Amino acid sequence: MEGLLNLWQATGVANLSFPALSMIAVGCGLLYLAIAKKFEPLLLVPIGFGAILTNIPVAALSEPGGLLYYVYYIGIDSGIFPLLIFMGVGALTDFSALIANPRMLLLGAAAQFGIFATLFGAILLNFIPGFEFTLQDASAIAIIGGADGPTAIFLASKLSPELLGAIAVAAYSYMALVPIIQPPIMRWLTSDEERSIAMPQLRAVSKREKILFPLMVLALTLLFLPAAAPLVGMFCLGNLMRESGVVDRLSNTAQNELINITTIFLGLAVGSKLAADQFLTVETLGILVLGALAFSIGTASGVYMAKIMNRVSSNPINPLVGAAGVSAVPMAARVVNKVGLESNPHNFLLMHAMGPNVAGVLGSAVAAGILLALVN
Amino acid sequence: MEISELLAQAANLMLTGMIGVFLFLSILIFAVKALSKFAATGQELEQPNVKKPSTKSTSTGVPAAHIAAISAAVSQFRQNN
Repeated sequence: MEGLLNLWQATGVANLSFPALSMIAVGCGLLYLAIAKKFEPLLLVPIGFGAILTNIPVAALSEPGGLLYYVYYIGIDSGIFPLLIFMGVGALTDFSALIANPRMLLLGAAAQFGIFATLFGAILLNFIPGFEFTLQDASAIAIIGGADGPTAIFLASKLSPELLGAIAVAAYSYMALVPIIQPPIMRWLTSDEERSIAMPQLRAVSKREKILFPLMVLALTLLFLPAAAPLVGMFCLGNLMRESGVVDRLSNTAQNELINITTIFLGLAVGSKLAADQFLTVETLGILVLGALAFSIGTASGVYMAKIMNRVSSNPINPLVGAAGVSAVPMAARVVNKVGLESNPHNFLLMHAMGPNVAGVLGSAVAAGILLALVN
Repeated sequence: MEISELLAQAANLMLTGMIGVFLFLSILIFAVKALSKFAATGQELEQPNVKKPSTKSTSTGVPAAHIAAISAAVSQFRQNN
């Protein structure tokens, strides 16, 4: 009889708590979004499954000794996984559009206002009882506005590891929602005339420029913002491997196998942070609201900056391309192209939007570096 | 810490952060322009997004399979007429 009782005690049914059950439901919800709705499936499948695994009672996968504990400890606590992904993103990124029109960097900078405005907003939330965000928490939440998953995870793991699960889920969910969040803001802030502006064709970019570009970005980081060196450094390494043309094997590995393997473990590790006691809080709700705010403000400030640039510049600039400054490569650029085509069916803005889009990646890495340098 | 004090710090961070991002990326603009001038000295240009015509078919002319098919069709035509 005692043996039977012990066996009963070892079952999941006997140990299942309501919060854990709710988190398993959240995990299933993420799986549904990924599989049925195709929302960032590459990330949300492992994250959702990780959330289920970590909440299985008795198994203690996220306790010291459990698989997910070690995956998190090795990959995210150390900051290695997001950086490996960033190297892959660097190897996937073509900077030609930005090198051909470097002024687009201003749009990538303007869109980062979403980050810093949200930081302020997160602290404002402290006036509501139940919220107690520190400056570190607020910075980690605000980086969701950078619309860059690896950057958000990297910064959250350094500044506010206990909020990492919610921040990563918010960041990836909103990135999937870019085609829904951005267009209304873009249409609201621009006139039909502005949206139809055609931009001059981009000049051709030489191979030498493309090779020297990552080295130059690295040099500037070394001189002015060493705190951003892990992110920018890995990004530039990936890009140099791509553009140098002499290490195609390494570049292909960084773009494919390595980024895929890392994505599996990164997703699982993020999922392991979706434990009931950390996720089922009023703060998570706040993070979700602030994340949407960050995206919207970033989009709006990018569009405004592009409007200003269009007024002062001799070359016409379609204000829509400013929205791509939030990064979320290449989704945001595609959205710009789509909204542009609605007003002028012959106006393909994709290549023009890629400039601010990759500038946004650099911009959010720089913003993360600044936050690390000032808040840590 | 008082919320108002935190708010002041956040506002400060917002200002320094935005100035920092703009400064860094503005320096990068000038650096890229300088880089383009430097790179413009010599070096052939590479067209973005334009696929080079595949050299396979041009170097060997018409593929052997096509020649075989055409000659078979011609001989069949001659036999029939």
